[in-house]
Amino acid sequence: MKIKELIKQDAGFQYIIDSLELMSSAGRRVLLNSAFCTDAAELEHEWDNLQEAIRATGDTETRRQYTDLRHCLMQLHDLQGTLASLAARTPLNEVELFEVKNLSLLTRQARRATAALGLACTLPLPDLDEVFALLDPDSTGMANFYIYDSYDNRLPALRRELKALQEHDGDPSRIAALLSEQSEIQSRVCTELSDRLLPRTADLTEALNRLAYADSLLARAELAIRWHLTRPTLGDTTSYRSLWNPRLRHRNEELGMRYQPVDISLEPGVCLVTGANMAGKTVLLKSLGSAQLMAQCGMFVPAEEATVRLAEGIMTSIGDEQDEMNGLSSYASEITKISNIIGTCRERNMLVLIDEPARTTNPVEGKALVQAIIGLLQQCGSTTLITTHYSQLGSNCRRLRVRGFVEDLADVPLTPQSINRFIDYSLTEDSSEEVPHEALRIAAILGCDERLISLAQENMNQ
Amino acid sequence: MPFVKDILQHKSLSIVGLEKNTGKTVCLNYILRRLNALGVGVGVTSIGVDGEQVDAVFATAKPEITLYGGTHFITSEKHYLQRQAVSEIVAVDSRRTSLGPLVTARVLIGGKVLLSGAATTGVLREQIKAFEALGADLTIVDGALSRLSLASPTVTEAMILATGAAVSANVKQLVSRTRHLHRLINLEEVAPALRQRLSPIGSGIWAVGDDGEVHDLGIQSVFLIDSLGDDLLRHGKTLFAAGAVSDRLLKTLTRKEHGITLIVSDFTKIFATQEAYADFVRHGHRMQVLQRSKLIAVTLNPTSPQGFVLDSKSTCDALSEALQMPVYDVVKIEEAGGGS
Repeated sequence: MKIKELIKQDAGFQYIIDSLELMSSAGRRVLLNSAFCTDAAELEHEWDNLQEAIRATGDTETRRQYTDLRHCLMQLHDLQGTLASLAARTPLNEVELFEVKNLSLLTRQARRATAALGLACTLPLPDLDEVFALLDPDSTGMANFYIYDSYDNRLPALRRELKALQEHDGDPSRIAALLSEQSEIQSRVCTELSDRLLPRTADLTEALNRLAYADSLLARAELAIRWHLTRPTLGDTTSYRSLWNPRLRHRNEELGMRYQPVDISLEPGVCLVTGANMAGKTVLLKSLGSAQLMAQCGMFVPAEEATVRLAEGIMTSIGDEQDEMNGLSSYASEITKISNIIGTCRERNMLVLIDEPARTTNPVEGKALVQAIIGLLQQCGSTTLITTHYSQLGSNCRRLRVRGFVEDLADVPLTPQSINRFIDYSLTEDSSEEVPHEALRIAAILGCDERLISLAQENMNQ
Repeated sequence: MPFVKDILQHKSLSIVGLEKNTGKTVCLNYILRRLNALGVGVGVTSIGVDGEQVDAVFATAKPEITLYGGTHFITSEKHYLQRQAVSEIVAVDSRRTSLGPLVTARVLIGGKVLLSGAATTGVLREQIKAFEALGADLTIVDGALSRLSLASPTVTEAMILATGAAVSANVKQLVSRTRHLHRLINLEEVAPALRQRLSPIGSGIWAVGDDGEVHDLGIQSVFLIDSLGDDLLRHGKTLFAAGAVSDRLLKTLTRKEHGITLIVSDFTKIFATQEAYADFVRHGHRMQVLQRSKLIAVTLNPTSPQGFVLDSKSTCDALSEALQMPVYDVVKIEEAGGGS
């Protein structure tokens, strides 16, 4: 799957991709068309490139060359259409020839910059000096372009006469005749130049795509530096130290709220996560999804340390408004997703993230469904994380519990606004079959109607 | 050589026609010719599609723009390839218009060119900056039919207004309509301190208290203004409309007690009709602007697209008297040799 499809499915990942500061539309095209990578060697190579780019970005000695390179990328136009015309043997016009000349000049400048930055191997660019020379017959070294006098020996005399006539309001019919002759010569030159450029079409296309790739790579490098991202190692399990979720962390920071990164490690098979409401179980699922997407899309990840087990894809069932918009009831939408997950996981190794399955149906059947989901997903090689409020599920899978509400965690009055500071979002291994019962307590802190809470409490005690 | 010297005091100039066929292009050609003789580095661009060979509305032949060696210009790819000047491409914009990308070029051998341009003032501002970087002393922006936005002082420093028989074949009407726009262009400016406070406001209608304090009236749209009733004037009689001023807004205000001062960003934001404005003023209200445009000249094209010709001298005189500034028939100046 390509990044452009993945961002439509995951708002958190969309946020991450939108945070990349790309310089060119060609760079954006190449980035959005790059695929979720499932090949370990390919991914390591991509991360090597990224690491090299980060090194070059941070090197103060070559700051000027780095700025030069970024400047080249800023001027890059996506002339796919022009190059397609060239390949189809349609003669290019003056404006298109200018674009080709500009691409060859940018490639030359970028080659110089990448060499100085030690990125010549990471970002190999074809040598287009011959193309530039063809389009710069007077050796001006400039991007400017027109059908130069030197392209046809009739042009100098013709233009001398034209100039004299224009400056002295000469005979309009003679001017028209000269303009028409010039126009004929110019189109012939355009055709000749296009013919001579034809064998270089592949090089030009490669230069365009590699410069666009450079844009994508530098944008990922700058993001890695700005967000302090970490290069993951590939492994048989997935584990993060201080994993965080970019979109939620930045939103919290904007609101002046605390954000607590979490440590987690997951083996293939099913792991259950329990914990009170508001304890960040859904955020945990989203964070794992985002980090896996970032890693396998050639980015570094938001954690202090990371080991990632490659997955063939990520499948989630995390309820959101989107489903209701599509006219499906929350239960119908959820069960369709889960059924899909179970089907896919029979053959493929996925990262599966399921948020509170069967929470919208009756607890008797709901619990039975969850037990069945766990049973089926235990048998396959995928890594699955399921959050739940159901207790006594009776399965032997691993359990993690969010530590949750801690009365004396913060030194401020406990209010609905400050409650987030009293929650310990970290995970702990849990051997009990019971889930935490904190729903009433949290409802009370949130300022719910006292009658509601006391009545519920009475019901609990019966 | 009237008014060309005044142009040189500014870095950017817009040419705005009160109607189509008011001689904008003749005026532009005159100015370009004079500036060339003076050796001034010029950049020429346009807003909307303009300078068509055949006028789209009346299909009358319309002179193309003649550019001279050394001039920079911007036009679409389509019109660039049709140019009669010899020129070299300096830059191609990555944004595409319906006529292809915009091409920036420098004239090597003078000749006629069709100008076509982008439709937004934001792009115009960028182009003016780009021309400056290319060494142009002055950027001239050619206007399009009924587009005044380019003459906003936030876009171009100075403007020329072209009027003519195309506006009305009746001299009284012509004078009246030209005088109306002239009045708007010359609306009184607010004090600099108040301008500083109001300039950052992007939308809505605001009240300015007697102490100069600015209050949000919570009106995002003119359509809500009626609901506010007399509450509108609770902070005093000075109001600021950050967006466009329509007939509806003026009519609502006209009915209020006398003495309202309505501040607008600049005259290009006033879309109200001449009648609504006259009514507003007759009821003892007035308008002010944050920034006044510098009107350099008014030109007259005495020929209407239907072929009717007004008497040049007497019409110029009538306009001059009404506007209290000289009005030029550019064709006449050109015929007289234009001081060359």
